[in-house]
Amino acid sequence: MFTKSAALESVSQDVFFEVAAFLNKEARLLDEERFEEWLGLIHEDIHYWMPGIENRRRENPLKQGFYDKDHMAYFDDSLRDLQRRVARFRQPSAWAENPATRNVHHVSNVEAFVAQAPNTYEVYSTFTSIRSRGLDEEYVIYGRRYDTLIRTESGLKLLKRLILIPNATLSCKNINTFL
Amino acid sequence: MSNIIKTLDVTERLDNLKQVCDLDEGRIAGEIFYSQAIYEQELEKIFARCWLFVAHESQLVKTGDYITTTMGEDEVIVVRQKDGSIKVFLNACPHRGNKVCFSESGSTRGFICNYHGWSFDTAGNLVGQHESGIYEASDFDKSKWGLREVAKVDTYKGLVFATFDPESPSLQEYLGPMTWYLDALFDNQEGGTEFVGGCIRSTYECNWKIAAENFVGDILHAGWTHDSAARAMLGGSVAKVSDFDESYSVNWNGHGYEFALDTVGNVAVLGESKLNRYIHTIKPSVAERLGDFRSNMIASVSSCTIFPNFSFLPGQNTVRVWQPRGPNKIELFTWVVVNKSAPDEIKEMWRKGAMMTFSPTGVFEMDDGENWEYCTKTAKGRVTAKQDLYVGLGMDTFMEETRLPGNVYQGQLNEANSRAFYQYWYDLLSAHTWSEVPNRNKGKVEAE
Ligand code: FES
Ligand SMILES: [Fe+2]
Repeated sequence: MFTKSAALESVSQDVFFEVAAFLNKEARLLDEERFEEWLGLIHEDIHYWMPGIENRRRENPLKQGFYDKDHMAYFDDSLRDLQRRVARFRQPSAWAENPATRNVHHVSNVEAFVAQAPNTYEVYSTFTSIRSRGLDEEYVIYGRRYDTLIRTESGLKLLKRLILIPNATLSCKNINTFL
Repeated sequence: MSNIIKTLDVTERLDNLKQVCDLDEGRIAGEIFYSQAIYEQELEKIFARCWLFVAHESQLVKTGDYITTTMGEDEVIVVRQKDGSIKVFLNACPHRGNKVCFSESGSTRGFICNYHGWSFDTAGNLVGQHESGIYEASDFDKSKWGLREVAKVDTYKGLVFATFDPESPSLQEYLGPMTWYLDALFDNQEGGTEFVGGCIRSTYECNWKIAAENFVGDILHAGWTHDSAARAMLGGSVAKVSDFDESYSVNWNGHGYEFALDTVGNVAVLGESKLNRYIHTIKPSVAERLGDFRSNMIASVSSCTIFPNFSFLPGQNTVRVWQPRGPNKIELFTWVVVNKSAPDEIKEMWRKGAMMTFSPTGVFEMDDGENWEYCTKTAKGRVTAKQDLYVGLGMDTFMEETRLPGNVYQGQLNEANSRAFYQYWYDLLSAHTWSEVPNRNKGKVEAE
């Protein structure tokens, strides 16, 4: 399981406010399918990672317990990969996106710390992603996120994201959104 | 000593199957995707009888390495033995039936049941119990109460298959000439293949057959369904399959492989030029090993299902099992296969490339899932379930004159493999014993 880097200091109230606003804005851009603007919040060196979860015995873990960097993943993306996903959403022939999927991204339990590298913050949060498609399909994915945000000339950017869901079996057919 | 599962009783055959499945006419009906009665027959007459894919040997390197999976809805443990062989047990304790192993994979010296502490070695023998003294007083014969072992386990080029049915044909006979084609992916380099990166499991609300049939021989959907993904990954549409000079649909015992000879059509959609280059680099050695013909297949526009529910895409290198979970639900288990001898960087690119294209977040798979769920769900309507569905493409395309093994049909835009898949399904549901399953194979067993 992921653990927080040792003895990091909390950010100031001002920075905390800024970080929370960043996360909320990100969630809203995704809900409103404003993917290009969402990509604008992403740093060019992004590692956007959601490993697959393996149900293992405690005495017999993978390198990170129930996930591993060599394990199959849901996302293990660079900026190019994220752009390709957005490109699919934007095709008129993305048949399964029309009618649109309606999204609500919910973010909470935010903590923010001053990271070791200059101008970076470690930010932890929990999320719930609720999607509905068609007349009656509903999918709920929830989990924990471990982000690194970096302050650039054009504001805060997402440099790293680790998304951990508790499920070893995804309870739906796909993840046609970002988390 | 472990105990072999007894032959299963076979339930009464359904008398109305012809109404929902007539392949000479090229039609099926949605009822076969939605009926609970048909599903129950499938569990017994197909999943409890056929050879089912359970593991890749690379997942079981050392003695005591195990994975857990399911055969139909039956949970099983697959374990590497001291002598190098592989055993498959029901993952259910012979005391009260509790699940014995909860982990997806790992390495162990044995399995201990959480309920009353029966403990089994990796060969399935019952070796101890909590309060073992009281069992002695009841004349308990430990040797009779090991983990229940499936009837047969066998492998082909690293792929481990098992069957519950002692009467089933040998794996070799079951696969027949399909092995000649399997080699194009699973034996194209010295050292064979391995799985990388564990397993991703997801859930679809669809019938298992619609997914299995998609891989058995439905390349027709790709150009339309996957247009958006192809544009996202390649900046253009997918290769136009009808433009290929030469392509085939080959089947045997309900298994099917459809393929073009364009070498890189499938791998290209991963959008990694290094993978295309890798395929071109190994191609001459594949030609030496398997001949020119199959060297054109290693990552070409192609797909395969081994009946009933084991499928893969050469080139994208996604390998999967559509696990039945009721008539209108499956769990999809996916793995990534690579050549053992491939450079690490190449293996890593395939791990990521398969994720990006064919996985729950894959840009290709998203459009498949939606289609398969609604092919299933519409059959909820009692009238709709009886509607004839067309599977008649390529009725007269069987090739008498060919050097290729199997039942060979001209062209991959063809529903011959789908018909053969449903025909075998029909034949198994209609047969009480393996000897009652008609032999409809009319092609060659061996390549010429
Ligand atoms: S159920 Fe396993 S020991 Fe009783
Ligand atoms: Fe598809």
